[in-house]
Amino acid sequence: MGELIFEARAARYRYEGADADAVSGVDMEVAPGELVAIVGPNGSGKTTLARLLLGVIAPSGGAALAAGRPAAEWTRREMARRVGVVAQREEPAFPLRVHQAVLFGRYAHLGPLGAPGPRDIEAVERALQRCDVGHLRGRWVATLSGGEWQRVRIARALAQEPKALVLDEATASLDVRHEMEVFELVAALVQGEGLAAVVVTHHVNLAARFAHRVVVMDGGEARAQGLPRDVLSRAVLEQVFGWPVEVSMWRGAPQFVPLRKGEGGDESSS
Amino acid sequence: MRRWLLLLAAAAAALLMGLVVGPASLGLAAVWDAVIGRGDETAQSIVRGLRLPRVLLAFLVGGSLSVTGATLQAVVRNPLADPYLLGLSGGAGLGAVAAIALGVGGAWAVPLAALIGALLAIVLVYRIALVAGGLLDARVLLLAGVVVGAFAASLMGAVMALSPAPEVRNALLWLLGSFDGASWQALAIFGAYAVLPLAVLYAMARPMDLLALGEEPAQFLGADVESTKRRLYIAASALTAVAVSVSGIIGFVGLVVPHAIRILWGHTHQQLLPSAFLLGGTLMVVADAAARTAFAPLEMPVGVVTALVGVPVFVWLVRRWAS
Amino acid sequence: MCRGLRLALTIAALALSCAAPESARDGSLVDDAGRVLAFEQPPRRIVSLSPATTELLFALGAGERVVGRTRWCVDPPEAERVASVGDGLNPNIELVVAQRPELVLFYHSPMNDGAIAQLDRFGIASASVKLDGLADLRRAAILTGRVTGDSVRADSIVQAFERDLEAAAAPGSGNGPTVLLLAWDNPPIVIGATSFLSEVVTLAGGRNAFADLEQPSATVSIEAIAARDPDMVLLAGGSEDPDWARRPEWQVVRAVAERRMVAASGTEFSHPSFRAPHAVARLRAALQEAKP
Repeated sequence: MGELIFEARAARYRYEGADADAVSGVDMEVAPGELVAIVGPNGSGKTTLARLLLGVIAPSGGAALAAGRPAAEWTRREMARRVGVVAQREEPAFPLRVHQAVLFGRYAHLGPLGAPGPRDIEAVERALQRCDVGHLRGRWVATLSGGEWQRVRIARALAQEPKALVLDEATASLDVRHEMEVFELVAALVQGEGLAAVVVTHHVNLAARFAHRVVVMDGGEARAQGLPRDVLSRAVLEQVFGWPVEVSMWRGAPQFVPLRKGEGGDESSS
Repeated sequence: MRRWLLLLAAAAAALLMGLVVGPASLGLAAVWDAVIGRGDETAQSIVRGLRLPRVLLAFLVGGSLSVTGATLQAVVRNPLADPYLLGLSGGAGLGAVAAIALGVGGAWAVPLAALIGALLAIVLVYRIALVAGGLLDARVLLLAGVVVGAFAASLMGAVMALSPAPEVRNALLWLLGSFDGASWQALAIFGAYAVLPLAVLYAMARPMDLLALGEEPAQFLGADVESTKRRLYIAASALTAVAVSVSGIIGFVGLVVPHAIRILWGHTHQQLLPSAFLLGGTLMVVADAAARTAFAPLEMPVGVVTALVGVPVFVWLVRRWAS
Repeated sequence: MCRGLRLALTIAALALSCAAPESARDGSLVDDAGRVLAFEQPPRRIVSLSPATTELLFALGAGERVVGRTRWCVDPPEAERVASVGDGLNPNIELVVAQRPELVLFYHSPMNDGAIAQLDRFGIASASVKLDGLADLRRAAILTGRVTGDSVRADSIVQAFERDLEAAAAPGSGNGPTVLLLAWDNPPIVIGATSFLSEVVTLAGGRNAFADLEQPSATVSIEAIAARDPDMVLLAGGSEDPDWARRPEWQVVRAVAERRMVAASGTEFSHPSFRAPHAVARLRAALQEAKP
């Protein structure tokens, strides 16, 4: 079965004071060289599931494991050496240059006082090149465009030299080109370097084309999971999103179009 | 490298200037003689007994306030945070006023009472901020600081209104900040005490870098956010409290200096903290020299000097930040 | 300035400045704020809002007319039997009015303007009295004597006071000890030449180490004190062996290190009164005793 990176077993989580589970009884796993997308509508528990896998929160029931050990038991430093995370939003409170920001990815590998060594510099440099942001290294972060900043943050995650990447709505604010660039980059890392990747997104069509497997979340439960073409059916999508859709296949990947009121089922195929 | 040389040169120049100027006008030669233990006895006792410990204490306190300011700014993720923001000044003031009103005796009554007041305020603010689910919420921390500070200030007003001792008003003068109480003894106590918090803060420079990005990103980059925040808050406020007890409340140094360094040299705390220490110490020595010479023999509270310079700089920074 | 000349000038100034309280043309009285005082008959109920005027009223034999005082008015001891209305600056008008006064004596200060205006609306007479130094004392005494309707007594008391003061004062030799008048230690607050206590020091034969200050009192640095190297420290209030004198930074001031300190304890040092000759005599003796 290979080295499992992330694993959820009947994982359940309820926020304090909430009257329903945010995640209830989810089973899933992510292996090296695999890109798993978690899709679903707002409030379906996507982000909570990712936080469980990352050990930020401990499950109220069941288990969330990283490399076979409960994820919440990992120290943040141990986790950061294995997993790079890019969240949806992040605004630095203070002025910061790009190369400094990317060097932060090395902190989990550094002692409290020691200076970054040649290996660290090299990792930063490689990450900058990999994400095509080397030319930005001297810029202030505040002057970057949304797409540039997102790529810098992915570079920072790569500088961690992780075994896994978790992207939580990391492309939500990007235009088409930048969003595609991010997905292409992640797919290349998974394929070329054997990383495991978890991508939380509401872009079902992109998930269908890039992910090896898809987990469809709905009301805290994994409504369906498996290969995109098996899972992303019209029935599942309509039930989960509560809106009529048309699904067609495009180069082997299911692509869906939400329908306008009164539109029939046939005219939207391509 | 050039930056460090510049900062060190400025610090050395400020210390030298602080040693040479003063209400007792001694020439450079007389000061030098006094330092090496020659010449006029009065000059010797003034230079060695007053000026030397005074400029060193001002430097240490200015540096410490800048470091604690930088730290609290990282904890609350706000570049406009001040070391006294978190209820400290109110607690210290209440302690000082209460000591005078109650006629507490002893050579160090007022500074000690201010220290106790400040420490109590820290504990109270910390407890309030912890209420939210056992986690230290930076926003609640800010609010708790404001509220505890206001409450202590009200109590201070009550003590002043009701006390039969008219001298309680003098506590306010003391609180405005001065290094006139400097002595080798005060310097040794402050120095010995400051070493640990300063070392703790420096050792946590990297987690501070991460914390400034936001609590979640910091976690994902390997920082243990909760314990980091707690340790930073406790070390920074305890250090500020002792600074208050040796010199009263000297505002704006801890606010403006870290901000200036950030703008000039970016944000990694491993560089920021020592640079802020040097620049803060330098500016404090200069401000103190101005405080005791501008209107000699009258002495201005050094907190007034730093505010007079700091407020315009602060306004400029706020406008810059807003745009 | 030569010491003897200064003493002579002080006494001359006393004599000159107290020639008489100001009178308007028609013979009516004017207070220190320039307001005309008019009474059909001497007021029988007086609220006195400064320790100096309270003591003055009692000294002039009008003590039984005092129906209100500040909490700071504790001289003479009989004054403490009078109802306190709290603070004298910016006083509690409700408490003042409750004493049903026919006259309220204020300390002359802009802070009291609002209170005076309020009393005007109630139709209660008030007077502002400036009583900061010995020169003010005679003028205030004669004014108060005329208000209470006993000018003869006031005049004789003032004359006796001036004789006593002259007798108590040290003869001018010009080289008396320099005295640091210290009101507070942290920050150090010293008293300048324009204050009553400084007058007492001068009459007792001392020289105020900070006679050049324009302010009645001011914060200075220990270094400024050390540089002036006073012969004596006069502690305005407080004990003769204060705790702070053991702090290391103060040892640079020789008079402190060697404990050449005298305490100006007692209210005769805190405001001008007919007890000033006693204050002068006491201080003069203390200065001679402690002469280095």
